[in-house]
Amino acid sequence: MSKHHVVVIGGGGTGGAIIHDLRLRGIEATLVERGELTSGTTGRHHGQLHCGARYAVKDRAIARECMEETYILKRIARESLEANYGLFVALNDEDEEHVPIFIQSCVESGIPTKEVPVKHALEMEPNLNPDIRRAIMVPDGTIDAWRLPLQFFASARHNGAGIHTFTPVTGFRSSGKAITGVQVYDLKTRREFTIAADLVINATGAWAGQVTKMADVEIPITPGPGTMVAVRKRLANMVISHLHPAGDGDIIVPQRGLSIIGTTQYRTDDPDDIAVPEEDISEMYRCADMLIPTFSSQKYHAAWIAARPLAGAASTADDARNLSRDFNVVDHGEIDGREGLVSVIGGKATVLRAMAEQTVDAACVKLGITECCTTAETALLPHRAYST
Amino acid sequence: MSNIQLAFTINRSHIDDSGAELSRRQQQYSLGVNDRMTVLDALEVIRRDQDTSLMYRHSCHHGSCGTCGMLINGERKLACLTQATKLETEMIELQPLRNMKVIGDLAVDPSPLFPDFPKGAAYIRRSEVNRDGRKPFELDHWERFEDCIECGLCVSSCPVTESFMGPAALAAHNREIINRRERRGELLGEVNVPRGAWPCTRALNCSRACPTGVYPAKHIAELRKKIEQDGLTPAAEPGEKRAQ
Ligand SMILES: Cc1cc2nc3c(=O)[nH]c(=O)nc-3n(C[C@H](O)[C@H](O)[C@H](O)COP(=O)(O)OP(=O)(O)OC[C@H]3O[C@@H](n4cnc5c(N)ncnc54)[C@H](O)[C@@H]3O)c2cc1C
Ligand code: SF4
Ligand code: FES
Repeated sequence: MSKHHVVVIGGGGTGGAIIHDLRLRGIEATLVERGELTSGTTGRHHGQLHCGARYAVKDRAIARECMEETYILKRIARESLEANYGLFVALNDEDEEHVPIFIQSCVESGIPTKEVPVKHALEMEPNLNPDIRRAIMVPDGTIDAWRLPLQFFASARHNGAGIHTFTPVTGFRSSGKAITGVQVYDLKTRREFTIAADLVINATGAWAGQVTKMADVEIPITPGPGTMVAVRKRLANMVISHLHPAGDGDIIVPQRGLSIIGTTQYRTDDPDDIAVPEEDISEMYRCADMLIPTFSSQKYHAAWIAARPLAGAASTADDARNLSRDFNVVDHGEIDGREGLVSVIGGKATVLRAMAEQTVDAACVKLGITECCTTAETALLPHRAYST
Repeated sequence: MSNIQLAFTINRSHIDDSGAELSRRQQQYSLGVNDRMTVLDALEVIRRDQDTSLMYRHSCHHGSCGTCGMLINGERKLACLTQATKLETEMIELQPLRNMKVIGDLAVDPSPLFPDFPKGAAYIRRSEVNRDGRKPFELDHWERFEDCIECGLCVSSCPVTESFMGPAALAAHNREIINRRERRGELLGEVNVPRGAWPCTRALNCSRACPTGVYPAKHIAELRKKIEQDGLTPAAEPGEKRAQ
């Protein structure tokens, strides 16, 4: 057991996977989250378990990582997934031209694909647009955006991690230029206190820039909000994606008794300053109806928006769209001379475990710890164990 | 889209180190809202622009995580599915759920909900969509998450005052028996105890409060019927008989 103490800031999926990983390696760890767990981007994401097919044409490495993590999550967190596959459908000539490169890119990324005759696709998903031209099955699925991270938090907590919700970080403690802890304000008791740390990990997603600013360092992060709209009927079992170079409103994710269309992409400076633009709703309905024509005639359920934590700087929405979905671990000691602070930025909910593995690997190097990561082989506790 | 000014009256409180609730009072905020905005959207804006210390639970913003239950004008609802202007009151009163421990303002500790859920219960069931239609040969059947999002609205609405497992845990027992017939004997044993399926008085508050259509009262009635069918001796008189 090491004597080091690590503080993790941010209780999204990434923070949850990090604190679980730290505890499995025997490292003392405390996590602080400003609100409820997963009240940032994680709880609000679209809920797609990405096997990587969506990214394969543009970036094989990201696609391969998504596929590997999909296999791992099915082993360690099966109950937080609806594992029904995904179906990519081509709707027009242009889409059809895109099919060969799509399939080839998937194969090169280790993603199994299976083209099914249109007739079979319609028998599997009777609500699909009957005019689809091609249909390719991939191992996508649905994530319960709340329960998956909660399984990590539950496991970490039962393994001795300290987890403080409603406790925003308000500043850093330093000795010279080195960070030695965090200043927090507990909203529950209305008291301020400090937590000493040998290392602080900033896992605040789209808020990462606001947090590093408190330590007087900058980090390239672009919050990229996107809208989702849910209707009150399950219209498919598989995740239905438009087979084309990625665009807006091209994925329908089924979940419980809902069908959810998403998403759009903007950029913002403040991830708290987001509201669904009214025009997004009709646009999402229009896009959804191309895949499942009865989508917009179902009962409206909800519309909401969340900010992607895009790694990289972008000044316009188009620039933001082109930012990679990859993630980076930034050592502020090395880059800014601020020892004791590491940030993890970018990524996706599907790859939360891999993000944690790389971040904790980097933390271990800094702390001189040699324990290996075992999260890929460790089944997680049920989400309810967080509260019991 | 029209924008109207609404008053939000919100219960404020915090706790001491022992968890005891301190200083319950009400605070008013005024906010312009449009027709699309939910009570949760409004809370987000109030917290961002007017009072960063405001505490409430939220995560998914679409009725799937079960964290945002509260009393909205006295009724148990999910804040994320309640459109503010549809309430048709100029003042919206927000209070934390009853029957639960407050950890601050509108936030409650949900943990009392869980101890009586059946151990190892499945969270996934067979999907109702295209149930017997074509499916990939690798799958036994199409699947989906259970409807219950563990929001506790049913438990908070239940009028039973004696010791009681409560509607959510009982509904989960019956769902598990439906999913896994082999557990029937074991789980009926768990609910055939004085605080199990019997204290329910069939007030049906739970079924009305449930935002995802679980109808817990129906599951409690089914559990009682199964206990009878299996020839078990009821552990207590049904609550509604005692209430008469
Ligand atoms: C519209 C949209 C759709 C998406 N769809 C998918 C999808 O289908 N599949 C998929 O895999 N991924 C999806 N993603 C991506 C995924 O949601 C994110 O990559 C992931 O959730 C980020 O998790 P995180 O833990 O890094 O960040 P967050 O979940 O945002 O966590 C950061 C946390 O830090 C907290 N915090 C901020 N400041 C402070 C402070 N000062 N003190 C303490 N805590 C603080 C915040 O409250 C927050 O909870 C989607 C993203 C968006 C925006
Ligand atoms: S049964 Fe319904 S009301 Fe009760 S906890 Fe589950 S979802 Fe909530
Ligand atoms: S925020 Fe998830 S149910 Fe309301």
